Amino acid sequence: MFVEPDKRVDLPGLVAHVREGDCVAIGGGLSSREPMAVLRELIRQGAGGLKLVGSAHGIDVDLLCGAGLVAECGESYVGFEQDFGMAPNYRRACESGRVAARDSCCYTLVQQLRAAIMGLPFLPLRSVRGTDFMDLHPEYKTMTCPYSGEELLLAPALRPDVAILHVQYGDARGNLRIEGPPVADILFARASRKVIATVERLVPGEQLAEMGVTIHYFYVTALAEAPGGAHPTACYPFYAYDRGHTAEYYRWAAAGAEPFRAGYLKPYVNDCPTQAAYLEAIGGPTAMERLASWQAGAEAWSALYA
Amino acid sequence: MPEPGITHCTLGEALIHQIARTIEDGIVAFHGFGSPLVQMALHLAKRTHAPRLALVAGATYGVNPTPPFLAPTSNDWVMSQGAECHLSIEELFDLAASGWLGRMFLSGLQIDPYGNLNASRLGRERLALKLPGGGGGCNLAADAGRVTIWTAAHRAPPDGKGRRRFRLVETCDFVTSLGHRSADGRTRAQLGHLGRGPDWIVTELGVFDFDESGRARLAARYPDVTVDEIRENTGFAFAVRPDLAVASLPAPDAVSFIRGLDPLRVHERELRPEDRTRRFEVKG
Repeated sequence: MFVEPDKRVDLPGLVAHVREGDCVAIGGGLSSREPMAVLRELIRQGAGGLKLVGSAHGIDVDLLCGAGLVAECGESYVGFEQDFGMAPNYRRACESGRVAARDSCCYTLVQQLRAAIMGLPFLPLRSVRGTDFMDLHPEYKTMTCPYSGEELLLAPALRPDVAILHVQYGDARGNLRIEGPPVADILFARASRKVIATVERLVPGEQLAEMGVTIHYFYVTALAEAPGGAHPTACYPFYAYDRGHTAEYYRWAAAGAEPFRAGYLKPYVNDCPTQAAYLEAIGGPTAMERLASWQAGAEAWSALYA
Repeated sequence: MPEPGITHCTLGEALIHQIARTIEDGIVAFHGFGSPLVQMALHLAKRTHAPRLALVAGATYGVNPTPPFLAPTSNDWVMSQGAECHLSIEELFDLAASGWLGRMFLSGLQIDPYGNLNASRLGRERLALKLPGGGGGCNLAADAGRVTIWTAAHRAPPDGKGRRRFRLVETCDFVTSLGHRSADGRTRAQLGHLGRGPDWIVTELGVFDFDESGRARLAARYPDVTVDEIRENTGFAFAVRPDLAVASLPAPDAVSFIRGLDPLRVHERELRPEDRTRRFEVKG
């Protein structure tokens, strides 16, 4: 358990907790609350060979694949939904064999994380049997239930080396507050050996206690304040999904591995040594103010996506 | 109130209506992500014939939300506005695993005659195309009471060499979610799954149900499509119901509701460009 009274570090200090070859659980989901600032810092520092696990993801996993940091991918989905479609860097990495595609399914992942949280070697499920996931995951076993006599699937406990989260609020001790869907973040935090987090706003502990804590401080290894840290995914109420920037990302990713390095990774990751430099590169305060304009009502909100 | 003068609907609106028709009143139903036609269908069903539907929104897990408009991605606070409460990821999947999820909606790049779906990969030995993956579909296909399968890309036009890459195929390269029997021939009953499997396949050409052996059977066609055309575009042989119907179309007020909820026409992103111009006459 992590009980130090002050766990605040900077972004380089945060990603120093990720080691070459680690099993990493990335928080958030699809176009919401992805820990993008941490992932960009991770790319600048270069700890690779990562094994990713998670549920439904998009630009976060695609970015790490495009930067060559991923060895294995066990997500249930990696794509840009109907908005842009398949994830180009992820596809290339899997199809070339550089990334081992070890797809999972949401409930299988949930049961594996809960087994770790409960300190059990596995949890059973009925589903999955009868599909090709059985061959893809030789670690899944079946057993005859000693009570009901039915056949069950056993999925082994999953304890990621490190969970990477971006949430709205935190305090110096590492208490975290998530607003809106937590996706699998709470499960990740409880199951993982280490949790590193960025927050939009650091607030005093008493204030956070009053707002309500989602993830208790003793799960959290270190945290950093990183306003705009989920951009271009959403972190409500601060900002909505940046569809325009995601479209630019997608164009570069779809153009090929080298164009992506030169057209996206260089200007937005490698040439931005800090999160502040990144926020300038994407258009400065004007860009972020525009993404905050969803609060003006449905018309302003939908205009962001038109 | 319906907009005055709605005389026609689009293909997208017809698909939303057809998917909505598969939803029973009073059940718990969940839509996943990347499926705006299904999101729209659940809202339409709740607004029309299924007011007691417990609608769980994919990605946000909001229950009975009233979004002001359809967002282009599903894990957006837009989609959980007005929700009565929120489930966690584990609560939703636990509900399904214990038999409380009435219906789920699934798709894939390959659909076989037994309703097995492939959302994972093309190529059996060698990975030829990595697909995004099936999300929770593998779990929910087994656990949900019923499954509606849908695709807006049934049509498989021949390429330059006259070959067709079917969406509805004899065999999936990879089974991501189970239909009525597994590749090695085991039935759902033999596997002991709680759910009863898919009962509908809604496509942009027609609607299939399943016969007693668990094989897809053509139940309806759209007014501008012939049975022969559906055969040409389908990679497996199928029976045609003797009472084959022309697919019903949404009422004008349903069309009006759809247009009001999706001003950005997000649902049309699931359709191919040539299908976005199809129109059908609707009657009040």
